[in-house]
Amino acid sequence: MKTLSSSPWIGPVLALAGGAILAFGLPVLVGDQAYLLRLATQLALLVTLAIAWNLVGGFTGYPSFATAAFFGLGAYAIAVAQQAGWPAWSGFLLAAVLSALLAAPFGFAILRLRGHYFAIASLMLVTILKEVTTGWSDLTGGGMGINLPGAGGNPTAIATVALETMVILAAAALALSMIVAKGRLGFGLACIRMNETAAMGAGIDAPRLKTIAFTLSAAICGLAGATYARWIGYIDPSDVYDVMWSVRPIIAALIGGVGTVFGPVVGSIVYIAFEELMWRNLLTFGTGALGVLIALLVLLLPAGIIPGILRRRAS
Amino acid sequence: MSASLLAQVLANGLLLGGLYAAVAAGFSLVWGVLNVVNMLHGSAIVLGSYAAWFASARFGVNPFLSAIVVGPAIGLLGWAVQRFVIQRVITAPVLITLVLTFALDLILNNGMINAFSADYRKVPPVTGAILTFGPIGLPLDRVLAAVAGVVVTLAVHAYLNNSRLGRAIVAVRMDRETSMLMGVKVEHIYAVTFGLGLALAGIAGCLMAVVFPISPLNSSGYLGIAFVACVLGGLGSIVGAIVGGIVLGVVESFGAIFVGPEYSVTVAAVLLIAMLLLRPQGLLGRAGYE
Amino acid sequence: MLLGGLSATALAPGFAFGQATNEIRIGAPLPLTGPLAPEGRKQKRGYDLWAAQVTKDGGVDVGGRKLPVRIIYSDYQSATPRGVQACEFLVNQEKAHFLFSPFGSGAAKAGSAIAERYKIPMIAPTASSVEVYDQGFKYLFGTFTPNSTLTEPLAKLVTEKAPDVKKVAIFSRNDLLPLSLANEMRKSSAARNLSVVYDEKFAIGTLDFAAALTQMRAAAPDWVFVGGYINDLVQVRSQMRDLGMKPKVLTMIAGPAYEEYIQALKGAAENVSSAAWWHPSVRYEGEDLFRSTANYVEVFKAAYNGDTPDYAEASASSAGAILQLALKKAGTLEGPAVRDALASLNVRTFWGPVHFGATGQIDSLTPPVFQIQEGKAVVLVPDEIKRGEFRFGIA
Repeated sequence: MKTLSSSPWIGPVLALAGGAILAFGLPVLVGDQAYLLRLATQLALLVTLAIAWNLVGGFTGYPSFATAAFFGLGAYAIAVAQQAGWPAWSGFLLAAVLSALLAAPFGFAILRLRGHYFAIASLMLVTILKEVTTGWSDLTGGGMGINLPGAGGNPTAIATVALETMVILAAAALALSMIVAKGRLGFGLACIRMNETAAMGAGIDAPRLKTIAFTLSAAICGLAGATYARWIGYIDPSDVYDVMWSVRPIIAALIGGVGTVFGPVVGSIVYIAFEELMWRNLLTFGTGALGVLIALLVLLLPAGIIPGILRRRAS
Repeated sequence: MSASLLAQVLANGLLLGGLYAAVAAGFSLVWGVLNVVNMLHGSAIVLGSYAAWFASARFGVNPFLSAIVVGPAIGLLGWAVQRFVIQRVITAPVLITLVLTFALDLILNNGMINAFSADYRKVPPVTGAILTFGPIGLPLDRVLAAVAGVVVTLAVHAYLNNSRLGRAIVAVRMDRETSMLMGVKVEHIYAVTFGLGLALAGIAGCLMAVVFPISPLNSSGYLGIAFVACVLGGLGSIVGAIVGGIVLGVVESFGAIFVGPEYSVTVAAVLLIAMLLLRPQGLLGRAGYE
Repeated sequence: MLLGGLSATALAPGFAFGQATNEIRIGAPLPLTGPLAPEGRKQKRGYDLWAAQVTKDGGVDVGGRKLPVRIIYSDYQSATPRGVQACEFLVNQEKAHFLFSPFGSGAAKAGSAIAERYKIPMIAPTASSVEVYDQGFKYLFGTFTPNSTLTEPLAKLVTEKAPDVKKVAIFSRNDLLPLSLANEMRKSSAARNLSVVYDEKFAIGTLDFAAALTQMRAAAPDWVFVGGYINDLVQVRSQMRDLGMKPKVLTMIAGPAYEEYIQALKGAAENVSSAAWWHPSVRYEGEDLFRSTANYVEVFKAAYNGDTPDYAEASASSAGAILQLALKKAGTLEGPAVRDALASLNVRTFWGPVHFGATGQIDSLTPPVFQIQEGKAVVLVPDEIKRGEFRFGIA
């Protein structure tokens, strides 16, 4: 008989339950501190994106820069759907499905590339989607941006709902990540990361597994983008297809530990705290100071916080 | 669409391509030899442009001349960055060096915004003359800059193939382990190569300053050009950078006519992905590393 | 996740400040880094000049007391979401009494929701699109008139002076303000039976315009209208020269109002026409602390080693001056009272006559049309401040 702690389902269930408690507890706890509400939502957003990235960049070892592409696509999907009068839930569905539908063939094609080549190809997707969105102004409003209906509603209510949705999404992503890590998919991905040729030799269908990971990741990013769009209320192409949406999750994952389940979570917290400190204290060198910090982290702690701690414990 | 219009567009594209070649050459060299995607490259070009502007505004020296000093100076900076910073993680996974150079880029770019107050600057025309061939008009400054870009790139190519140090660089690029066994100090070669890469960026910056307004915000655009031209021409190949740059310049120019100027970057991006998938070794040149 | 919530909560209280009533706290989110940094830094110069002048005068008169001003800046790195976050931060954590909006129409629109929620009067010095103001918000006030007030007088002037101008080319950056200007230009052209023979957009960050301009040249327009920012416009102008394009009229918005534009192009800037919400050569007398346009320009030059202020800098200073006049009128720092004072303001300032319409957007200002002549911007419209005649052809 299995003990409770070794059951593969206990982690994900705990993550979801914890997420639910946080999602509905935080607004009560934070109350009228609107700024904290905002910060917490941002944190949950970064956690979600970092976990999504980690499925491809961490578990599989393919450094994807496409996060911003699916994030932006999700944001525009729900914005356009809501302008056409669709209910919110169908907008979320559309965001996830569109992202996945784009990710599957595109991922299948570019996941044949390795290392920098893959990174650049995935980055180009961001550029392409950004320009297509800008150019297709009949549908998207182009460079003028797009307003989400209902954006003028009660701001506190919008902020609270956004926090709840975002935290639940983060928890769901974490649960998914745990399931993947413990399951057959995660095992396959780990084999691919260590030695893809050997994995193929051992009968692992690498192209299929990589594409699944990429597609899952894209769907999560799409949902995060949709949540974000409903939260902010006004989006334009240069905001939602900003490359920083790709870069920040990577740095968060790097800080916490690439390829670990909790690395992206820990890394996001540290990153947001740093970013906030820099931003508050350095008026015109905030971006540069962030650069200094990232450089130091990469040089001093290249494996990330969680692997760093584990190693110390082991020795 | 008239023939003279197409001829003019082709000429525009070729001139643009010569500049793009200079932008891509150093980037390609560093990628090929060190297996580092140098995100700092775009900002290094902008730094070169600012230096050229400074030389022009302060001492009245035109950018073609100031490039002789600016290139080596920025190259020295590159040597130090590689030797003391990037070298520490040179064996780490590609993601680490990518993020590290990205961080360095944030620092340099923010530093430039603060130092040069982010205002746009423009070096006055060097000759200001226009060459006309029938219906085609070519600004002489642009012709000179494009030719200089190609010549400098070819000079580096010749240096790599003919000097002792150059051949050591090529050897490291071909096979790192073997060249180590043969007594090449790889660490030293890396630093020199990175320095050479940034020196090329500095010179490219001077040439760009002849043609384009100067701003720290141009850096990501330059980086994008380097990416595409480098992949088109073949990784690590200097001659490939010339071919890639020229192809990109021409394709972009015709893209602006046939697809619309708002999609010029998209055209380049689609071209790049197609190229990666169909012919990752570049238009000429051998397959790159993983 | 749990850790995340806790750390965010733990971070906050240390930063909360007590409400200080012995100074006027104004929050100013600015894009000091990132793509909009040049604009953000211009605005900062405008604000700083106003604050310095207030300090020199001994403070702002509020209900008989002289209160010092403190502008709390926050860099939002040219990212709109961060701009909104900055607004909330400045109100919520820094206890700002008033806000100057983030840069441009998009960010101002997004940030105005925060001002509305906390009943904090917000002055937008750089938002011109009517869509920013028609949200039904009561706490947002803007110092720029709608974009149509720039293109209409231009079109009127050109068609009056040169009835033979028939073919128009419109070329604009794919970005909020330039797109809106191009749109207005299309309307102004249609209203006058001008035919638009070329109408294209270029992507943000485009470096080279040779191909597009070659195509435009083939359409042989009499009037070329280009919407973009200074870097785009400098490059478009020099490449037009390279290609030997000489339309009868060349209009560019919003670069030629900046001194840097003339500096960068020298002779090629000659006869380029433009319009802006303000120009240093306008002449207004005012009740504000700067007293007149001429004096404002002098004070600005003295403060910034001889630089001439442009409309972006002056608009930022005017935001402060206008707020100051409203505070004097309201006699209190209470948001709703100051809001009412702003809404009913009807004064003359160095920026021009100031009165806000029902939506909060200024409706008393006539933007000048001007043209670069002999290296200087010469005002052509309105008649009261006219300094020269329209000239045709470009170098």
